[in-house]
Amino acid sequence: MSTLWREWSRQAWALAQVEAGRRLRGRGAVAVLLLAGSALAIAFGRLLFLPQRMRADLAFTTSEFAESFHYFLILFVTFFGCAALFSNLFRGEVLNRSLHYTLLAPMRREVVVAGKYLGGLLAAVPAFAATTLGMMLLFYLVHGPGRAFGYLFSGPGLGAAAAYVAIVALASIGYGALFLLFGLLFRNPMVPAVMVLGWEYLVPLLPPVLKVFSVMHHLTALVPVPVPHGPFAILADPTPPWLAVPLLLLVSLGLLAVSAWHARRLEVSYATE
Amino acid sequence: MSQSITLHDVDKFYGEVLGVNRVNLEIPPGLTSLVGPNGSGKSTLMHLLAGLLQPTRGEIRVLGVPPSEPDRLMPLLGYCTQYDSFPPGATGLSFLLTTLKLHGRSRANAEARAWQCLEQVGLTDAARRRIAGYSKGMRQRVKLAHALAHEPQVVILDEPLNGLDPMARAEMIELFTHLAAAGRHVLVSSHILHEVDQISDRVVMIHGGTVVAEGSIRAVRGELKAHPLQVLIRCDRPAVVAARCFELEHVVEAKIVEEGRGVLIRTRDQNGFYGSLNRLVLASGVTVETVAPADETVHAVYDYLIGEGEGTT
Repeated sequence: MSTLWREWSRQAWALAQVEAGRRLRGRGAVAVLLLAGSALAIAFGRLLFLPQRMRADLAFTTSEFAESFHYFLILFVTFFGCAALFSNLFRGEVLNRSLHYTLLAPMRREVVVAGKYLGGLLAAVPAFAATTLGMMLLFYLVHGPGRAFGYLFSGPGLGAAAAYVAIVALASIGYGALFLLFGLLFRNPMVPAVMVLGWEYLVPLLPPVLKVFSVMHHLTALVPVPVPHGPFAILADPTPPWLAVPLLLLVSLGLLAVSAWHARRLEVSYATE
Repeated sequence: MSQSITLHDVDKFYGEVLGVNRVNLEIPPGLTSLVGPNGSGKSTLMHLLAGLLQPTRGEIRVLGVPPSEPDRLMPLLGYCTQYDSFPPGATGLSFLLTTLKLHGRSRANAEARAWQCLEQVGLTDAARRRIAGYSKGMRQRVKLAHALAHEPQVVILDEPLNGLDPMARAEMIELFTHLAAAGRHVLVSSHILHEVDQISDRVVMIHGGTVVAEGSIRAVRGELKAHPLQVLIRCDRPAVVAARCFELEHVVEAKIVEEGRGVLIRTRDQNGFYGSLNRLVLASGVTVETVAPADETVHAVYDYLIGEGEGTT
């Protein structure tokens, strides 16, 4: 059994490397580059144009970054970046009529799903983590390099940065699994993706029983700085981290299992596309 | 391990549209040609064998392995599809390297084998160029290299000679023959019937999703009793041969052809005719140059079974 697992892991890793290379070169890469670039451009614009009176307050930057992270880095950059990368893992190959090459590889379809997903993560996590760190650095540079580096490397900034990177990684894991499935189920995965985004934005307004069906809700527990959701938000205790992380991983695993089930039934019939 | 490719009562429907219907086949090692008009179900049958489609009903085994187990099947099977598409940005070399790495080869081994395959199909010079910039013939050759790269026991080739120039066609036909002679299963589909004649003497004819005939050309032709066998005799006095043959009971037609240098006989009894011909030649003192069946070809059998004007040349 362990030999079989070793073989599957080898195959999944081989495919993941191929897939990560493709993701970093293909259309998905352009989308990721634009999204990451937009985040860094906004942070750079803030660095240049933030009024002087606001440049003294480190706490203001901390809460402003927390909000930017929640609404922009996660619910825009990471969300659409994952949509571009993961929904095209299968769908992209159907559209460019090259899926049969993947399916002719000597691996179980479940391993193909795992390899492709891992490849997506290899492309997504470093890209979005680097964007997060870059944006964070640009936000704090407003206070001058001395204060910024002091906060980030000697103060609480390092722990916060680690938490934000972990959240980005977990968001990629969750959204990645979801978009991989969308790419298998839908001809245009962007339509359900936009619906999910709408749901994620609505979550603060929903009762606690519905909040559990949100990736962002589970990540809230890990956020180093809480984000206000406005006067109409229905408050609910965030899922504790010891539960949120395993739950998110478990849900992602469930989504991958459904994807694998679909992949087993996948047929190559480009004529109908 | 079984040595055959078997299909037992295989159906494939695309919704309500028939792909293939009740296919029962046993394909032994060697070169087998799959012949049929466009839309007859050839590619569907090949996709089913490779697991790219799943049968609606029936059972398929490739050397004993079901196509639903790609981890066991794909090391045994190489498939050159009809799709003229490739992973974006791939070069000839990277395309083969990726395939070989997924087949578990080490980097060094994959590289050595990739170059060997590229040389085999004459693409060494273009190896590092993007496939998107290749000519149609080059793309066809890199697909062939992809199908053969991992040295499979079963090679399925869907219209493999499309886009190749005559020289490349001859080389590829030689390669297929070589693979078949080495004991591999080589299943080739082609529209070009005279090439099928060149490639193999075993055919599977498919029409409307149904296998209408299978076996060696001679055996299939022999089964077509409704169509008298045609024999072309080249000799010095065709008129004499024609007159004498016409006296034979099983000869239905005798006509002078090839500008008076030959006679075409149509007979209902092949063995009886050849026996009578020997006696006839000895008795009349005619000098015979050649005697050959004129319609023991894929083209003729195809015409008899499927009819002309079905898009096959």
